[in-house]
Amino acid sequence: VQPPQKPLQAEEWNRLRKSFQTPAVFEEVMFNSMVRCNSPIDVAKSLLTHVAKSNGDIAYSLLVKYLALCVQQGQTSEIRDVYDIMKNRFKILESGAYNLLIRGLSNSDQWRMALTLLEEVKKIMIPSRANYESCIKAASRHQEMNLAFELYHEMLAKDLVPTLDVLQAFFDFSRGMKGPELQKELFGILLYLRENQIYPHKTFMQSIKLWFESIPGGNWRGHLTSIKDSGQCPVCNHQLEDSDLTEEEYNNLRERIIRDVIHGTDTFRKTSPQEFEAFQRFVENRFPFDIVIDGLNVSHIKPRKMQCENLFDAVNCLAKDNARLLVLGRKHMLINSSNWKREIMKAMQNKADFFFADNISEDDAFLLYATLRSGKHCKFVTRDFLRDHKACLSDTLTRHLFRKWQRGHQIAISPSFLSVFIQQPAFCYDCVVQTTGDTWHIPYKDTFEEKYSYQVPRKWLCIQQK
Amino acid sequence: MQSANVLLRKIVRSSVLPFAAQHGMKKDLFPLSRTLSLSLCLKQDNSCNPSEKLDLDAWKKVMKSGLQEVVSETVSERKELSTLAAAREILEMWRLAGRSVPENISEEQLKTFMECPSKSAKKKYLKYLYLKELYRKNDKRKMDEKRERRLEAQERASETDEAKRNSFVCLLSSGMDRAYSWRVAQSMIFGQPLVFDMSYENDMSVREVANAVRQIVSSEGSNRRSVDPFHIHFCNFKDNSLYHKEFIKHYREAWGKLLITVTDQCYTDVFPKDKLIYLTADSPKVMKTFDHDKIYIVGSLVDKSIKTGVSLARAKRLGLETAALPLEKYLLWNTGAKNLTLDQMMNILLTLKDTGDWKKALEFVPKRKYCGFVSKPVHELKKTLNLINTLKLGKRQEELRKQCAKNYSKKLTQK
Repeated sequence: VQPPQKPLQAEEWNRLRKSFQTPAVFEEVMFNSMVRCNSPIDVAKSLLTHVAKSNGDIAYSLLVKYLALCVQQGQTSEIRDVYDIMKNRFKILESGAYNLLIRGLSNSDQWRMALTLLEEVKKIMIPSRANYESCIKAASRHQEMNLAFELYHEMLAKDLVPTLDVLQAFFDFSRGMKGPELQKELFGILLYLRENQIYPHKTFMQSIKLWFESIPGGNWRGHLTSIKDSGQCPVCNHQLEDSDLTEEEYNNLRERIIRDVIHGTDTFRKTSPQEFEAFQRFVENRFPFDIVIDGLNVSHIKPRKMQCENLFDAVNCLAKDNARLLVLGRKHMLINSSNWKREIMKAMQNKADFFFADNISEDDAFLLYATLRSGKHCKFVTRDFLRDHKACLSDTLTRHLFRKWQRGHQIAISPSFLSVFIQQPAFCYDCVVQTTGDTWHIPYKDTFEEKYSYQVPRKWLCIQQK
Repeated sequence: MQSANVLLRKIVRSSVLPFAAQHGMKKDLFPLSRTLSLSLCLKQDNSCNPSEKLDLDAWKKVMKSGLQEVVSETVSERKELSTLAAAREILEMWRLAGRSVPENISEEQLKTFMECPSKSAKKKYLKYLYLKELYRKNDKRKMDEKRERRLEAQERASETDEAKRNSFVCLLSSGMDRAYSWRVAQSMIFGQPLVFDMSYENDMSVREVANAVRQIVSSEGSNRRSVDPFHIHFCNFKDNSLYHKEFIKHYREAWGKLLITVTDQCYTDVFPKDKLIYLTADSPKVMKTFDHDKIYIVGSLVDKSIKTGVSLARAKRLGLETAALPLEKYLLWNTGAKNLTLDQMMNILLTLKDTGDWKKALEFVPKRKYCGFVSKPVHELKKTLNLINTLKLGKRQEELRKQCAKNYSKKLTQK
C-alpha cells in the first residue's frame, strides 16, 4: 500500500482500512510502508490518533514501528515522548525498541540518555554490538574519548566483536588530540587488528594515516606502498617479520593438529590407530623432509594428462635442488591401472619417499603432521585450502596460528599451458599489522568487499617516525 | 461503530484482562497484533467532527491518560524480578513486538531457553516452540471442527433414525493388531534380524535423539505391518539412557510389550562377525543385492550437523563389512544428503526383502532428493556418450574423451 501524503481524518482512515483486503493487519502494513517510504511523521501521528481513539490503546508493535520512523528522521523530541509512553505503559521493553532508542538518541544532542538506556539494557540482557557501537560513536563524537574507550573495553569483555566502523571512529575523532593515554589506547586497537588478523579497508587505513600524521609533535609520516617478495619495505627498507612460528607455537600447533584434526572425537573417522602409528614410525625414521606433497591433489592438476604423469612432473620439478620429498597417497595408486602406471610409480619412488594410506583414510591430516614434524623449513604442496581441517581446531587462537603457518608453508601449484609447473611461493614475511616502535606496517584491503579468507592483501601502509 | 464501542466498554468493565482485538482477525496467523489492555478512556465519536482540525498528538493523551490505573496496579508488584520471571517478561515483549515467540511457555522450556548458549540459539529455540504451538493450535481447531461436523451428522442421523451398528467394524482393528503381532512373533523366532545400533547418544543433541526415536517408532510400525517382518534388535541399548526415556514417552506401557529384542550387548557379541553388514552412506562399498543370510545394522543416528564418517568409524573399529545403498546407480541425484531417515531405510529394506526390486525399494527415497530413475546403468550411458563424441569429433579426440570419462569415474570411486 502507498501511505497518504497528508495526515488523514479518522473517517478517511476508516475508509482506507475497509478497502484493504485484510483489515486486521492494516495498521501494521501501513506503518511498514510508511517506514519504507519515509513518510512525514504527521501522517503516522494521524494514524496513531485514529487507532488510539477507536481502540483506546495502541499495540506495542505499532509504537515500535512509529519509533523506527522517528529514528529514521531524527525526531529527537518524539523519540523521547515515545520512550516515556512506553516506559509508563510497559514494565520492560524488548531489544528491538532499545536498539531504536539508543540509535536514535545517540545521534542527537541528548546522546547521554542513550548511555542511561544502555545501562537499562544491561539489566535485562547483554546489549548487542550495535548498541555499543551507537554509544561509542556518540561519545567519541563529543570528544569523550575516555568514556568511549571504557565502553569499548566493556564490549570486548563481553565477547562482542566491534565493527571496523567503530574502530575507525576512534581514529577519526581523536585526530589532533594529545595525550599518551589516548595514544596507548589507539595503539591497542592496532594490536587488536594484529591479534585477530583483521585487515582495515582503504578508508579506515586513511583514517589511521591521518591520525598518525596529526599527532602533535609525533613527526609521523605515512606512505602507501607494496612490500617486496623478499619482505622488505621499499619506503623505509625495514624487513618485515617472517612468518615463522616460535618453537612454542610450533609445538602447540602440532599437538593441536594431532589432537583435533587427526584424532578428533574418534580416530577411526579419519584413519585408524594402527595406520597413524605406522605413519608416525615412518616419519620418525626418515624426517626431516623439505617438501611434503599431496599426491592425489597434485595428480589432478591437468585433467587431460594421466594422473601419474602429473605427479611425476611435479616431483621432477620439485626434486631439483636435492630436496627431500615425501609424497602422500593412497593404496589404490599402487595398483597398475590406466591412470597409475607401475613403471612411472617405480621411477618416482627413487626420487621421493612415499607413504600410502588406506583408500578410505584422509591423507590431508597426514600431510599436516609430516610437515609440522619436519620443522620450520618444511613446506607442503597442495591446492586444497584446508578449510575443513582448520575448522576442526577448536579455538580461534589456534586457527589463527594455523592460518599463519599455512601462509608461510603452503606452496600452491598451478598448471600452465607449457609443460612446466608454476609455483606460487609461500610468503616469507607475515601479513599482519606490525610495529617496531618507530615504524608501523599495516596491510589493507583495497575495497570494502570481503576478500577470500585465504587471500592476503598486497598493499601496505608504511608509517615511520622521523 | 457506536454500538461496537458500547459493547467494548461493557467488556472492559467486566474484565481487566487483555483481550483480542475485535475485528475478527485470524488469531493464529496474527497473534501478535493484539492490543494489550484497554483503557477506559474512550473518546466519544461525536467529539471528533470531520471539519475539526486534526489533533496529531491526541494519541499521546490517550496513552497517558489510560495509565493511571495500570500503573497503580503494577507499582506494587514491581519488586526485584527473579531471572525466570524477567525472561518471561522479555518473551512477552518480544511477542508483542511481533517476533516468533510462543504464547505460553512452561517453566521447563523457559529454563532450556535461558540455558541456550547464544542469541541465535535462543531465537531458534523460540521459533521452534512457536511453530510447535501453532501446529498444535491448528490441529486443535481442526479437531473441533471435525467434532462439530460429526455432531451435526449425528443429529441428522438421529432425525432419520437409522443408526446402523456393525460390530464387525469395531473388531477389525484389534483383529488386525493380533494378526500383526502373530507375524512379528513368528519373525522373532524365524525371521531375519535387523539391528539398530543405539550407541550414538553422545553424538547427538537432545532434539536429535528425540527425532531418532520418533523415526525408530515409525519404522517399528512399518515393520509390524509388513508381510514378512524383520526381527528387530536394539543393540548397545543402555537403561535410563536418553533413548530409553524418549521411547517410554512414545510407547508408554506398550514399551514392555513390544515384540523386539532389546539388549545392552554389542551386535558383535550377539551375532557372528562375518554375517554383519553395517549400512552407512559413507561406505566405499555399494550394496548390490539384498542378502537374506546377512544381518544388517542401521545406526540410530540423526545428524543434522553433518558429521561425516561417524558410523563408518564405528564399523572400522569393529572390523565389520560396510555397505551403502546404490543411490547413484539407480537415481539421478538432485540435492540433499545421501543419508536417509531410519523409517525410509526400514521401508527400503522391507521392500528389498520382499521383492528384491531396487526400483521399487528406492521409491521410498524422498522425491525432492532425486530427479528420476536411471533407466540404463551409468556405464552404458557413458558408452553412448563416447559413441556420440567419436562421431562428432573424430578419432583423435576420442582417446581424450575416454580418458576424461575414466578420470571422472575414478574420482567418483575415490571419494
